[in-house]
Amino acid sequence: MPKIIIDSKEIEFKQGQTIIEAARENGIDIPHFCWHPKLSVSGNCRVCLVEVEKMPKLVISCATLAADGMVVNTRSEKTLSARRAVMEFILINHPLDCPICDEAGECKLQDYAYSHSVGESRFVEEKAHNIKRTEIGPRIMFDAERCISCSRCIRFSSEIAGANQLTFTKRGDRVTISTFPGESFDNPYSMNTVDICPVGALTNKDFRFKSRVWEMSATKSICTGCSRGCNIDIWVRNNKIMRLTPRNNEQVNADWMCDNGRINSFKFVNAEDRIDSVQVRKEGFLQPVTWEEGIKTAAVSLKKFKPHEIAFIGSPYATNEDNYLMAKLAKALGVQNISIIQHSVEGDCDDILIREDKTPNLTGAALAGIRPNYNGFSLNQLVDGIRQKKIKAVYIIEDDLYSIAGADEKAFANLELLIVNSSNRNKTTLSADIVFPASTFAEKNGTFVNFAGVVQRIRPAVATAEMDRALDGMEMSKWDKFGTKFDRWMQGEKKDAKPTWRIITQIGEQLGMKFKYEMAENVFDEMSGAIKEFAGTDYDKIGSEGLKLKSEKIAVNV
Amino acid sequence: MSIMEIVVITLIKIVAILSVFLLSVAYSVYFERKIASWAQNRVGPNRVGWNGLLQPFADVFKLLLKEDIVPEASNKPLHTLAPFIALLVAFSTYAVIPFGPEVELFGYKINLVVADVNIGILYVLAFTSIAVYGITFAGWSSGSKYSLLGGIRSSAQMISYEVSMGFSVGGVILLAESLSPVKIVEAQHGWMWNAIIQPIGFITFLVSSFAETNRLPFDLPEAEPELVGGYHTEYSSMKFAGFFLAEYANMIISSALITTLYLGGWQNPLVDIFHIQGGWAVAMQVGAFMIKIALLLFFFIWVRWSLPRFRYDQLMNLGWKVMFPLALLNIIWVAVLIMVFKI
Amino acid sequence: MSGMKRKKDLTFLQRIYLPEIVKGLKLTLTNMFRPNVTLQYPEQKFTPPASYRGRPVLVEDKGNAERCVACGLCARVCPALAIEVQASETENEKERYPVKFEINMLRCIFCGFCEEVCPEEAIVMSKDYELVFSKRSDAIYGKDKLLVPIDNLKDRLEFLRNFK
Repeated sequence: MPKIIIDSKEIEFKQGQTIIEAARENGIDIPHFCWHPKLSVSGNCRVCLVEVEKMPKLVISCATLAADGMVVNTRSEKTLSARRAVMEFILINHPLDCPICDEAGECKLQDYAYSHSVGESRFVEEKAHNIKRTEIGPRIMFDAERCISCSRCIRFSSEIAGANQLTFTKRGDRVTISTFPGESFDNPYSMNTVDICPVGALTNKDFRFKSRVWEMSATKSICTGCSRGCNIDIWVRNNKIMRLTPRNNEQVNADWMCDNGRINSFKFVNAEDRIDSVQVRKEGFLQPVTWEEGIKTAAVSLKKFKPHEIAFIGSPYATNEDNYLMAKLAKALGVQNISIIQHSVEGDCDDILIREDKTPNLTGAALAGIRPNYNGFSLNQLVDGIRQKKIKAVYIIEDDLYSIAGADEKAFANLELLIVNSSNRNKTTLSADIVFPASTFAEKNGTFVNFAGVVQRIRPAVATAEMDRALDGMEMSKWDKFGTKFDRWMQGEKKDAKPTWRIITQIGEQLGMKFKYEMAENVFDEMSGAIKEFAGTDYDKIGSEGLKLKSEKIAVNV
Repeated sequence: MSIMEIVVITLIKIVAILSVFLLSVAYSVYFERKIASWAQNRVGPNRVGWNGLLQPFADVFKLLLKEDIVPEASNKPLHTLAPFIALLVAFSTYAVIPFGPEVELFGYKINLVVADVNIGILYVLAFTSIAVYGITFAGWSSGSKYSLLGGIRSSAQMISYEVSMGFSVGGVILLAESLSPVKIVEAQHGWMWNAIIQPIGFITFLVSSFAETNRLPFDLPEAEPELVGGYHTEYSSMKFAGFFLAEYANMIISSALITTLYLGGWQNPLVDIFHIQGGWAVAMQVGAFMIKIALLLFFFIWVRWSLPRFRYDQLMNLGWKVMFPLALLNIIWVAVLIMVFKI
Repeated sequence: MSGMKRKKDLTFLQRIYLPEIVKGLKLTLTNMFRPNVTLQYPEQKFTPPASYRGRPVLVEDKGNAERCVACGLCARVCPALAIEVQASETENEKERYPVKFEINMLRCIFCGFCEEVCPEEAIVMSKDYELVFSKRSDAIYGKDKLLVPIDNLKDRLEFLRNFK
């Protein structure tokens, strides 16, 4: 392997790598604005200038290929003064907007201004003014004054999103980013430019001014918008999700996620229609009851029916643990009628990230023992069975019976017992006999398996009534750490919900079965022993990057 | 005198002394605050009554109305008992201290002391030793580390200084040839005050009584910067008031003891010099006793607002390596006086 | 105690301590006869100088608008976590304003960091030192209590310009 010396450290690199790439792989950070590991090299910000021995002038490390025996100095006086000069130049027209700018706190320019700048400007003239606060796209606000013309967003929209929607217009200090007249920057991946924008020129409209970035805690999780399972961070403040951002995972989503997942896949967690208590139908109305009473009623009611009169419906929205316990409970009761509802939108997919299957865990549910047409039991048979009063009881988790194709208003009127675990109200919960409030993906531990067979973990980011942020090891912001119950910011609502696996565990216990699971991890450990695809995996091994399951064929029969 | 008469007279004495005593305890708190503020160029309590003279009563009412909090982890019986021990000890010591000569009133010969016990000094030493229980119990039973540390410090301190205190008293007993406080006072007739004859003993006793009453510069049991409130950290309401009053009661007792043992008790040399007789003489003698106590109290308070607190090891060093040898030296000195000068 | 060496050995007189005690007692005794400095508070009131750090307040510019843009730096820098800000968007030129600005006066330690960090000179320490509440919830001051017209804060603003 060829070698390069950076800051008197000998580094091996691969042929074809640039200096900045070789340095980065070895933990040497060379400041950069326009360079991005996933985008083409543009070389217009000039902040990555480094001194290379035997070269007459400083070179930009992002566009200079590393060569064997090259001696690079990123901290020499010459490099530093050039860097300071570039910083001063970029800051000439950058407005002092930090107090009102959403990027503050995660702004590259802000960080570099601290670490690589002199802190003072010799520029006494009026800064160049430009348009502020314009909607460049339906989900993005653009502030032209803040733009440092790095062209990352332009390159992203053409190279990654394949939409070619942005370009530079004008020259000199009037240069700005623009769409084609009359066009909007609206491709389904547009919001990734907010993340890669090194300044606050492009900001998230949905998150605009909602919170400062340092006031939130970030929890590593998985997007539930489709079966891609993009890695995300859930940003929470005052026990409320403020935004989602993509998290790097090369085998799943690289650095990106789609706008739909980013904006829409968490709204139901904070929604008004969350179910806030266990409810049991008494005298025709759903009445709130205690957890003990609800669990007891469910167990007693289930026992009244013969196994072939009961149907269990798992969920591709629920975790592997939830579905596994559902299947286990079914087995223990002798229930054969097991199925799952699929949620696919035909044609709504592309070859970047978006998948037709809009659920995060259909593969995982199948592996856990709940699959469509299990033992030849289809959803049509379910609906028919209920019409013909062959099936009298249904237990469904985290899904809506009425979303079954062909199920009309009266399809389920014949049911004698309908138990449902659900986080939000829907048609099923309204007609159910027993409703358990279920934790959402942001409120529990668990695992999902994406369409390609990568098992990934979700972690609780929002505390529920049964959880304590500190004691349960959840991510904490500074305010979470030092808050007391008397502080307003600690009084964010805590839903009285439990994860589905725990609800099923309690029903199982009530039915006299040996369900002894304290944590989701206990369930997964049992799964890794019982299911061959999961053999040898555990939560630690899955970690934050996920684990590709060994099995060759995990394709689900759709 | 019949038994009945003795009982009635004693009861009257007890009631009289107790009321004067309680009142002076209350007002010593008032004067503590006043003197403190004078020393710091402040005014001090001046809101309740004229110049704040009703402040002690306001304090008592405030403490009475406070919520009595008993910590969950405490040993409740002992926690409750501790302040009562402290108060009981403080009050009962006063029984043997004479505050005036024998007088004739309504044809009765009355000794101006509640109980003329012939081993009065032993009684006092014994009772002050019990006081350490109050504080130790309080410290231990509170179930708090600060209280416990305060309690332990306090017991160590009190036991250490009791030794030099006891030896200092030895000199006094040698001279008076009696353990009765009444005899000891009589032995200091005229200017034969023990403070003048045996100054070393006086100083050691004085210092030891500072330590015994947990007053600055020896108030380590309740050293606020380290131990919050020391042994009474977990006390509130009237139980706290118990400790608070006991501290001031102890101060008065100590002053009375120092007066009795070293400053001639109720003896007033002026009575002899001007040959005053009868009721005026008694009044002057009782007055002298009161003034001596008052001056000592002022001294106690004055010292508190002037000196910093000792470090714990310094306190123990002083007790064992300085005060104890000095007390022994004093006994030798008194013995020499008796042998050589035959006094 | 141990063999620890002092920088300067004490003289014998200092070591026996008594003269030093007498000195100390003399000092306090002389103080007892000096005039006292007490201010009879509720009747007489202390008017603090401009450098005084009383309760933090928000500057209300002319035209009844707060200067604050809800950047949250005060909340970030506050060592006692007394400040909570919620921003929102306005049509004004400044884009941002605090829809909620709360200071928990039970948490506030009057350090003045918020004032020092504020980029808009929007939060300043006032001369107000009379803070009384009977409930915990009363101690949380919202914008209604925090906003003070700029005319009442001229002293402090001038002090900040000169010395900050």
